[in-house]
Amino acid sequence: MKEFEMREAGQDKNLRAKVGVYICECGPNIAGKVDLDKIIADLSQLDDYQDVELVVKKYGFLCSGPGKEFLEEEIRSNGYTHLVVGACSPRDHDSTFMGVCKKTDLNPYLYRIINIREHCTWVIDDKEKATEKAFSYIRGGISRVLRQSELFEKPLDINPDVLVIGGGIAGMEAALSLSGEDRRVFLVEKTDHLGGISLDLSGLLPGQGEIIKNKIDSVTEDKNIRLFLNTSVETVIGFLGNFEIELVSIENAETTDIMAGAIVVATGSSLFDPGESAHLSYSESDEVYTSLSVEKMFSGEGEARLRSGKKPSSVALIHCVGREEKNYCSGICCSYMMKLAGFFRNQSPDIQVTEFYRDLCLPQKDDQERYTEAEAAGVEFVRIKDISIKGTEVSFEKMNSKKSEQSFDMVVLAPAIVPSADTEELADLLTVPLDESGFFQEVHKMTNPVGTSTDGVFIVGTAHGPKGVSDSMQFARASAGQILTRLIPGEKLIPEVKVTEILEAYCTGCGNCLDVCVYGAIYSDDSRGISVVNEAVCRGCGNCYGSCPSGALRTKHFTNTQLYREVDEALR
Amino acid sequence: MSQTGNVLVIGAGIAGMKASLMLAGASNKVYLVEKLPIIGGKVIKNEESFPNLECSTCMVAPIQQDVLQNPNIETLTYSIVEKIEGKLGDFSVVIRKKARYVSLTDCIGCGMCYEPCPVSLKNEWEENLIDRKAIYVPCSGSLPNVPVIDSEHCLKLNGKEECNLCVESCAFEAINLDDSDEVMEIKVGAVILAAGSSTFDLSSLPNLGYSTLPGVYAPMEFERLFASNGPTLGEITLRESEKIPESVAVIHCAGRKEQKYCSAVCCMYSFKFARFLKHKIPSASVFNIYSDVCVPGKNYQSFYKSVEGTDTEMLYTSSIDEVQVSENGPGLKVTYSDASGSMTELNVDMVILAAALVPDDDAAELAEIAGVDLDSRGFIATVQDGSGSMETSREGVFVAGTAEGPKDIQNSVIQAESAAGQVMDIVTAEVSGS
Repeated sequence: MKEFEMREAGQDKNLRAKVGVYICECGPNIAGKVDLDKIIADLSQLDDYQDVELVVKKYGFLCSGPGKEFLEEEIRSNGYTHLVVGACSPRDHDSTFMGVCKKTDLNPYLYRIINIREHCTWVIDDKEKATEKAFSYIRGGISRVLRQSELFEKPLDINPDVLVIGGGIAGMEAALSLSGEDRRVFLVEKTDHLGGISLDLSGLLPGQGEIIKNKIDSVTEDKNIRLFLNTSVETVIGFLGNFEIELVSIENAETTDIMAGAIVVATGSSLFDPGESAHLSYSESDEVYTSLSVEKMFSGEGEARLRSGKKPSSVALIHCVGREEKNYCSGICCSYMMKLAGFFRNQSPDIQVTEFYRDLCLPQKDDQERYTEAEAAGVEFVRIKDISIKGTEVSFEKMNSKKSEQSFDMVVLAPAIVPSADTEELADLLTVPLDESGFFQEVHKMTNPVGTSTDGVFIVGTAHGPKGVSDSMQFARASAGQILTRLIPGEKLIPEVKVTEILEAYCTGCGNCLDVCVYGAIYSDDSRGISVVNEAVCRGCGNCYGSCPSGALRTKHFTNTQLYREVDEALR
Repeated sequence: MSQTGNVLVIGAGIAGMKASLMLAGASNKVYLVEKLPIIGGKVIKNEESFPNLECSTCMVAPIQQDVLQNPNIETLTYSIVEKIEGKLGDFSVVIRKKARYVSLTDCIGCGMCYEPCPVSLKNEWEENLIDRKAIYVPCSGSLPNVPVIDSEHCLKLNGKEECNLCVESCAFEAINLDDSDEVMEIKVGAVILAAGSSTFDLSSLPNLGYSTLPGVYAPMEFERLFASNGPTLGEITLRESEKIPESVAVIHCAGRKEQKYCSAVCCMYSFKFARFLKHKIPSASVFNIYSDVCVPGKNYQSFYKSVEGTDTEMLYTSSIDEVQVSENGPGLKVTYSDASGSMTELNVDMVILAAALVPDDDAAELAEIAGVDLDSRGFIATVQDGSGSMETSREGVFVAGTAEGPKDIQNSVIQAESAAGQVMDIVTAEVSGS
């Protein structure tokens, strides 16, 4: 550990450290609650540090305009090597004083703010105790700042182009929102056509069929979108702003290398296999259909017929197939089943339509009216506790525990929306984790639903989770928004500077750090038997630092030495 | 000169803040207008948010700080948009900055001025569960942490007395009782309406006893009762009796029938309430009276399953609209029809009503000022072209969050980012086209 300490103690051995300590009075908030003159006198007399010159001063409001100018001039004229500011919460003014440092020659990482307002004067009534605590905190800060190192921002050139994986409605919307004169989009689709699952849908909202056709035309005509049909993604390396991607043709195995700054994953979803459900004894040969196959009948032929060619005179619509097994509600099935009920009734006005449901989930603001209309039109809604089918014989138990059986010409199942088959493989390729439901996991469920822990990789549409066409397109445009904000053509990106570094001599290559890194920033260099940090990807969370058994890792600006010395001094 | 690079965002809740940050990140100048003296919106009223019961303040405070510190965002709190004229790319907007009487730059939020103020009033932000002064911040942790003076009730400002106590208590000379409204005119290229929503007026449902029975609570009242920075510092006690409730019924779908839509968030917050109650009062019995469980999306049902049977007993009613709450000695009696249709009674100390989300009280006025259509329910309508576009009936004016309809935080954020994405798409098109 000695080597670290020496490196941290001062960059230039020939330069005598000169630490400026500035205490903000914050009006009466600090000055009125502690004995500032005593703190200044005691700090000035500290003889803990050989070869360190301390200058201690106070000022009315350091965060004010004149306060910042004063501090800037003090740094310049005194030639400080380090700066400590005793003031308020770093949440309030850390960036303020870093900004002051940046105007001078003092590296902003050789400065430290010490919170003596929220931590001392606002919470301690006893002036003597508050004074003592503020003194100790500042002494800790001086000790820490002397062990801090200069850090430098390294702006990176970026590539504004975007790879969109999946040519369904979400992928197309993302591509169209992003493409422009200064930004190309590579749209990769594994099948031989655009449109995805939405092509089979019979229109959830008026005009939606037209929208999909128009989107396909727009994508095909857009000269800034390069379309790769029958193609899959083979390898991905890199980080936000600079990804290198290898594409491979599914037809002839030819590869294409492309570069992009961001990746939008729009690979869609699949349907729960009703055969997996114990209750249903589902068989393709019976007159039992999934909702999607009925959607296809209506969108293709314009009508739904039995395998015998006849139109059904009674239909059972069974909701929530797979909800229990998958432990989530897909959120759109109730609504589209009512739409299908309407189609059946249009086809044969005298048809008997019965919907068997467990809970009505009607989250969109028009859903409930759709339900009221369906009910008024004669669709029967039966709330059930349990249900099983054998062919088109439906056995069910109502909420009041009454059991019944009923036979229908046709049974339509609403299977849960599940992750598409290649989700796991793609997740591996992109180092994006999957969530408990097997969909791609967002970086934050609430505040960043399209981002992932691999910065620069975004998830949209049903690759993120079950959702309808409109929501899928909203997710797509949200990802486009994030990319438009962060990858601006001609501008550079400044990666986090407080990242983790590895001291190779101490690394045993045990791989603990690889397991705890949620950003995929660490990889193993097998030839040297050590771990390596990709600083452009690391966010400095410190997970790996705690996991390293040999002390080979440290997070810049938060090293053990810095932290321990600050705590030791504060508690002394 | 094209004003496409400037954007007006109305409402500084989670949707407005996220949209502003995204636009500002792409070097657009954003005017973020908020009618309250603080930013953060409804989310900061919840101590924890579903589905993972994350601390809301921890989630939102960094976003609030980013907004306040972003050089491209001009945050105008305690301000109202009075006029939006012009067209896409060239809107003229008139904003009234109401007199705050406390300087945002000089005040450091030390709070020394509250104590001397002789006026005591109900704190609306705290659902009237606690008092405030005429000079106040709505809650501890307010951002910006600068008070405002309620000119209607301040003795000096309403002309009742020559009181000057707050001014005298301020060491920073931050209070100016001669402050006046300021009207500013700005030019923007696009507008995003993110003014949020309100909750259903529960007193219009006499069968549920809200506002007549003190043991019956609205959801936001319960959120504040649970919040550690709230009126009881997080202690769940009943109003008037100040007793800790030993049995609680959460009644779902209050106002669903009247509003003709499901608000999609009430089931989840009802289950959250059950978890909260059992966490703070382990001996309490909690019941959820419901007719349908609406937990759409990949993460919600697992939370419901984790609560069902452990934190709450789920009581199915065949008729959620006919549940009755009545007085029963010091407690309450809930009457509902069970699965077989027979009437069942349940005695509890406390009832929480899962109220529908409804259009904000000012939604109609805002729609008129912004020149946009409302939908049949009174929310701001989108173009309904089937693509989920956030554009309203007026070109260049967008909507996001619960101003458009009931939704959770995730969907509010998605709509905000989607609207911001659409605005930037237009900006790019306008710039390259001109």
